[in-house]
Amino acid sequence: MDRPPQSTEFDAIVIGSGATGGWAAKELCENGLKTLMLDRGGSVEHRRDYPTEGRGAHELPFRNRWPPGKQADYRLSPTARPENYPFYASDDEQPYVYDESKPFTWIRPGVVGGKSLVWGRQCYRWSRQDFESNRADGHGVDWPIRYDDLEPWYRHVEGIVGISGEALGLEELPDSDFQPPMPLNIVEQRFREVLARDFDDRTLTIGRVANLTLDMPEQGRVRCQFRNQCHRGCSYGAYFSTQAVTLPMARATGNLTLKSDSVVEALEYDAAQQRVTGVQVIDAHTGVRSVYRARVVFLCASCIASNQILLNSRSEAMPNGLGNTHDVLGRYIVDHVYGVRAFGTFRGQFEQFVEYGRRPNGFYIPRFRNLSDRESMQDFVRGYGYQGAARRLAPESGAGFGADLKQRLRVPGPWQIYMLGFGEVLPDPGNRVLLSETAVDRFGIPQVRFDVQWGQNEARMGADIARQSVAMLRAAGATEIVSEDVLGAPGRAIHEMGGACMGDDPAQSVVNRWNQLHVAPNVFVTDGAAMSSGSCVNPTLTLMAMTARAADHAVDLVSNDGV
Amino acid sequence: MITSQIDRREALGGIAAIFGAALISPLRRAVAAGTDPGMGPQNDIFSDEQRTLLDALCERIIPTTDTPGARDAGVTSYIEMIFDEYYEPDAREGFLDDLQAIDEYSREQRQAPFVDLAPEQQDDIVSLAEQRQLDGADDDFFEAIKQLTVTGYYTSEIGMTVERVYLPTPGRYDGAYPYAEVGRLFTA
Repeated sequence: MDRPPQSTEFDAIVIGSGATGGWAAKELCENGLKTLMLDRGGSVEHRRDYPTEGRGAHELPFRNRWPPGKQADYRLSPTARPENYPFYASDDEQPYVYDESKPFTWIRPGVVGGKSLVWGRQCYRWSRQDFESNRADGHGVDWPIRYDDLEPWYRHVEGIVGISGEALGLEELPDSDFQPPMPLNIVEQRFREVLARDFDDRTLTIGRVANLTLDMPEQGRVRCQFRNQCHRGCSYGAYFSTQAVTLPMARATGNLTLKSDSVVEALEYDAAQQRVTGVQVIDAHTGVRSVYRARVVFLCASCIASNQILLNSRSEAMPNGLGNTHDVLGRYIVDHVYGVRAFGTFRGQFEQFVEYGRRPNGFYIPRFRNLSDRESMQDFVRGYGYQGAARRLAPESGAGFGADLKQRLRVPGPWQIYMLGFGEVLPDPGNRVLLSETAVDRFGIPQVRFDVQWGQNEARMGADIARQSVAMLRAAGATEIVSEDVLGAPGRAIHEMGGACMGDDPAQSVVNRWNQLHVAPNVFVTDGAAMSSGSCVNPTLTLMAMTARAADHAVDLVSNDGV
Repeated sequence: MITSQIDRREALGGIAAIFGAALISPLRRAVAAGTDPGMGPQNDIFSDEQRTLLDALCERIIPTTDTPGARDAGVTSYIEMIFDEYYEPDAREGFLDDLQAIDEYSREQRQAPFVDLAPEQQDDIVSLAEQRQLDGADDDFFEAIKQLTVTGYYTSEIGMTVERVYLPTPGRYDGAYPYAEVGRLFTA
């Protein structure tokens, strides 16, 4: 069980309990550090607090429509749904500001476990090229680490997370240590064959996903049951979340104290010692302020929230925020190019087949543009991949009523392939988060102000995503091909990264190669904030690996009295 | 897995065919009387007469065939909840006026209340509404009642588990499963 919370002195404090906070807590606790984990959200216990899990619409309030008026409280969280909105922060709990001409979508959960409860679970290692792109094309801060630095830590976390997928041996999409892949369906299998036949640079594979295809009894986890209700919480522990994996492991050590409903306002900085000496916390219910102390602090609050905490940690020595000695903090915010997608229908084909079970996963087409070993012919730099799926559409009921209508509603609509691009956004110092000078949240903490917009490179990449998806769907024999090439607002991919970028030069970066603040080595920033570029693959696996690597370094330092 | 689901569906469908609405309707009323928000109407929006009329009307949109129809699925109770929770009084009144127009037409043209007509005669009147030729009813009335009925039916226990094949825990995935093996939709 958790230690009683009266103590305010710990070996380590972890701020945030999502994928990275969970990993930090697990690694630190397992190495003997008495660790306090703080989260601003309310408590969610594994299994006990998944009230909508496994229920059909007929067993849910309002047949799983939004309760009257409730959706209006969650306009800032377009991914929240009737069956899981309590996992999200309501709009008045997470206000932020931006200029109307530069909208940003900051999607933020509101409970312990953070986005790990509701994430998309896609897990891809970065490639060697991903760590070298900033140096190669001059955008952003050169990464001080390379693929080989992270490779052992990828393996370290993959063995615990449990990732199902297909090994391909591709340089541009390194394989993980996989559990067996989920199957493609018959239309996706056909699409894969067409791409192999007609496009020598393209591969289609099943999504690499943190859903088990083999039981992991040592963790008390059971393989995926193909309900596709992951976002409600999963009592099988079939997908990776803090609740299912890292939190029980951290608790098992007896070294963890978890405090929910604890809003971190700022970090206290001692300029003479060049270290953070305290974490200022507001009780979300009572408003009472307190300070917790530890030798090391892990900042895993999520990209934007970690930037906010650092910017709000103002001291005489650093009036513009902790680590903001060279006006670099908050800059180079990226997300993924998102929203460009295409649909193609297969009328009269494969109609004798349907899907049995609800697979919580789709296909993946790895990056094929601007790879370092091929000549580039593009009008943009960097690259993109696709995620998608083939599925049967809803019945085409048409007009009428009665027994005919009822019978038509027993016949599924045609198969359709849906594909969505995820593209790398160029790190740009002009894309930044700041603190509002006027707007504060309900605790009096300055709100985040976004100043982020995508540029020409993202627009050109988006156009190519649309063109190539149409070409591939056409080759596959799809008809009624529709593409949408309007880029979503920054933040909408929920892959926001940057702001406290990693680099060797303290004048150009905020954290060093071990994720330590240059100005306060006892603070490790290991969530998306530390990312100096964004790749085009989903970031969470890399963030978890980087967190485990940083935690190992922190344990070494604590053991050797280095902090 | 699939076999037991179909067995259950056929069993329930069979029970409904043998006993008609008498068996299932009390269950439906029990659900409707429940006080949990969102599990049924919290307030009486319709009169008993209006409920009976809606039962008959919705049953013509999704009728009893080899599986139970809208009446047994409690669609009227669903619609009552929707009007109770989501609709302003004006919209409710408009809907009830349209419902009234159906019954008035029946009484004037068929000399009997709608609920007492034979199904074929009821269908003729519903067709008029569909063609927007029913005096006194709003042009959108048919689409509105059809949408409410379809949604209410396919999200009901009968719609989810008897008419469609419900796999709460499929346990596996087959991306080339023969449609002929199931002959209808799996519940999403």
